[in-house]
Amino acid sequence: MDEILRLSHISKTFPGVRALQDISFDLKRGEVHCLCGENGAGKSTLIKILSGAYQPDEGGQIFFNGNEVSLTPVTALRMGIHTIYQENIVFNDLNVAENIFAGAELTRRGLLQRKEMRRRTEQVLRYLRSDLKPDLRMNDLASGQQKIVEIAKALMSKSNVIILDEPTASFSSREIDTVLDIVRTLKKDGLGVIYISHHLDEIFEVGDRATVLRDGRKVSSYPIAGLGKTALIKDMVGRDPSTFYKRERVARGETVLEVRNVTGNGVKNISFDLHRGEVLGIAGMVGSGRSELLEVLFGSAPLVCGEIKIKGRPVKPSNPEEAIRNKICYITEDRQGTGLFLPKTIAENVVVANMVNTRQLWTLPSEELATGEKYVKLLNIKTPSAETQVVNLSGGNQQKVVLGKWFNTGGEIYFFDEPSRGIDVGAKQEIYKVMVDLLKEGKAILMVSSDMPEVISMSDRVIVFKRGEMAGELAGDRITEENILTLSIGDSKA
Amino acid sequence: MSETHAANPTPQARESLFKRYQNLTVFSIYASFVAIVVLVQLVSSGFARFPTFVSPVNIVNILQQVAVPGMVAVSMTMVMISGGIDLSVGMLASLVSIIVSLGVSQWGLGVWPSIALGIVSAIVLETIMGFIISRTRIEPFIITLGGMISFQGIALLLCNSREVVMKGELDFLTTNLIQGVKDPVTGLILRIPPYVVIFFVIALIGGLLLTYTKYGRRIYAVGTNPRAAFLAGIDVKNIRLSVYAIQGLLVGIGATMLLARINTGIITLGQGLEIDTIAMVVIGGTALSGGRGNIVGTVIGVFFLGSIANAMNLLRLPSEVQFLAKGLVVIVAVAAGDVSSQISEFRALKREQAWARKEAAASKKGGAETQASVQADMQDSSA
Repeated sequence: MDEILRLSHISKTFPGVRALQDISFDLKRGEVHCLCGENGAGKSTLIKILSGAYQPDEGGQIFFNGNEVSLTPVTALRMGIHTIYQENIVFNDLNVAENIFAGAELTRRGLLQRKEMRRRTEQVLRYLRSDLKPDLRMNDLASGQQKIVEIAKALMSKSNVIILDEPTASFSSREIDTVLDIVRTLKKDGLGVIYISHHLDEIFEVGDRATVLRDGRKVSSYPIAGLGKTALIKDMVGRDPSTFYKRERVARGETVLEVRNVTGNGVKNISFDLHRGEVLGIAGMVGSGRSELLEVLFGSAPLVCGEIKIKGRPVKPSNPEEAIRNKICYITEDRQGTGLFLPKTIAENVVVANMVNTRQLWTLPSEELATGEKYVKLLNIKTPSAETQVVNLSGGNQQKVVLGKWFNTGGEIYFFDEPSRGIDVGAKQEIYKVMVDLLKEGKAILMVSSDMPEVISMSDRVIVFKRGEMAGELAGDRITEENILTLSIGDSKA
Repeated sequence: MSETHAANPTPQARESLFKRYQNLTVFSIYASFVAIVVLVQLVSSGFARFPTFVSPVNIVNILQQVAVPGMVAVSMTMVMISGGIDLSVGMLASLVSIIVSLGVSQWGLGVWPSIALGIVSAIVLETIMGFIISRTRIEPFIITLGGMISFQGIALLLCNSREVVMKGELDFLTTNLIQGVKDPVTGLILRIPPYVVIFFVIALIGGLLLTYTKYGRRIYAVGTNPRAAFLAGIDVKNIRLSVYAIQGLLVGIGATMLLARINTGIITLGQGLEIDTIAMVVIGGTALSGGRGNIVGTVIGVFFLGSIANAMNLLRLPSEVQFLAKGLVVIVAVAAGDVSSQISEFRALKREQAWARKEAAASKKGGAETQASVQADMQDSSA
């Protein structure tokens, strides 16, 4: 097997973050090389360097077929390095053949060669052993079938390396088998495949070698034959827990939220209790249904079946308005998209959710401003006044505005989705402190987080999600990176 | 970090007047327009005559012309702040005029029931459009375009493509409220009919509704970020529906007033009303994308657009020029709003850079520690 791609001592720095540090990596023809690591370990950054989307820092080298190259999106494609991202990038209103040839249409004297494009599409689909037809509209295909079209598109031009980023993230098991079959075909024909997946089963099924990244560094690289899953997981974890945030514990109170067999919005059969004074963490890989559960409980996505009780009283959350009346607060993951009114002032943002709870029709701008100023002071929001537009605040201060909005509703059950995403270290600690203060007041917190140290340091108990279901619950000393990871990506039979 | 903040007031603290008072830009353009027209009149008459453009009789004249489009512009502002648009108001007004005039002159319904029928029809039709817009993902532009065409069809069917002439049954709506008052400048009789007053009352109510009620604040929230509004417990669908219902009410009232003026129910009655009102609203600074705008701005826009034709007339320019002038005003007013906000952003950036340079120079003496905090601050503010 000869080497096709080699990275040596690649680093990538973003303002304030060292995303990759001194990574060396190589890929041979006819090999499937798997990249493993937790959320945020640097896998995506690495493949973006390979696809030319990011330029690595000075000092690293990239070799293609033994020659040193610099990769841009154009040169990467010219060398036949194709990246297939997790989200399908397709033209929904065009058919399969048109998608495959989009941007590289075959023409003769300016006219499209429809027949020829159809013929070649059929050919490549046959090669991939797919029963798709060139005339099917993209819109009508399942996401697994769209993935096949994307791979077919990559194969249509010269291809040497195929990078698959989480190709099976939202697939049924039959679709997964199709993708794995395709990977085997590519491998047999001498292409190099870089395969990224959260699911160790898949890695062990098709992979030849695995490289483990953690916090932007390469931890290990080894052949998969003869490797044990536990060894792989051990390498993916391994942060020093003593460096984590130390949080004050609060005595656990009565149950405020009971969830029984909740199903809907992509989650199945979820049951747990949430008590006053505790943080219940929800861990799992991105796309495992964690945020989807919060949406169901908050009434912004439909509940199919199951029971929800708040303070012992059965509720049917049909819309957010009712959830807010039931004293639920939902700090969403996408702060700017779903949490804030960016062009509006801090005051206007803070008062909006509590309108549900007030009876009177009037609202006085002066009172709104006073409420805004109150939370600016209480949450230490760095701003000249509550009249500042939220768009001008930093990420941490924006998050505090979201918190102010929910504090103002007098809520008791807090849903935090990625509470500290995109926030600098100082503001992060402030947010954690605010969360502990909530617990002291007898509030309860349900926290979804992909940040392992955050899950481990903040949670009293953790439930781990895998493919929309609960894979297990951890408490006390059993909340470790290794245990969480084993439950969230390990053997599905375990 | 907080100490450096305390020592140097944040650069954002000083805002330009134009940014603070959002209607100032369009108001100053309008004021200069008025000033230019007055100046031209003065110069051309050799400073011998009072400029007729600002004479009471002319102002009252303009008021009569803009009152009805102004009412519709108030509800159009609400629709557009919620993120929608309504192209159907013109044809709906024609339809209402035909229903009311038919009711009075042919169906024998009596005056008030006919008016009520007209207004209720407008509310119902707008509510149907609002229902479709709020319950589907179809663009309001398309729904109301379809509405516009269908209303034209209904109107033509009802009147058999003929005009419906009345015998002055609605004249009471055009009585002069200030009988006997004369213009001290020209000596002409001043007329203020009820609909002028109704326009101001509606504008006042609309302004208060948008600024001082929960309902109004929620319209802004829905227009700014519907997803966040939904998650903040706002009934996004019904808010979007309700603004169209209000639009129906005001189009109904406005169309009745127009009908009273010309005494004939006719398909051309509301022609171009949608263009005029949307122009008025955008001149007043309301964003097509929703979430931004206010009634004071719209009222300025109403007067601005309404005085253009009048000024052209007084300056003895051919009436064909007025469309060009109106079009240019829309572009200039909206562009000026954008330019002024770009200028204030640019100035804020300059101030921030100057401030950072000063900090950096100071820290060279003070040591590396403050340097780091300045950088952190800059990242903070740029994020």
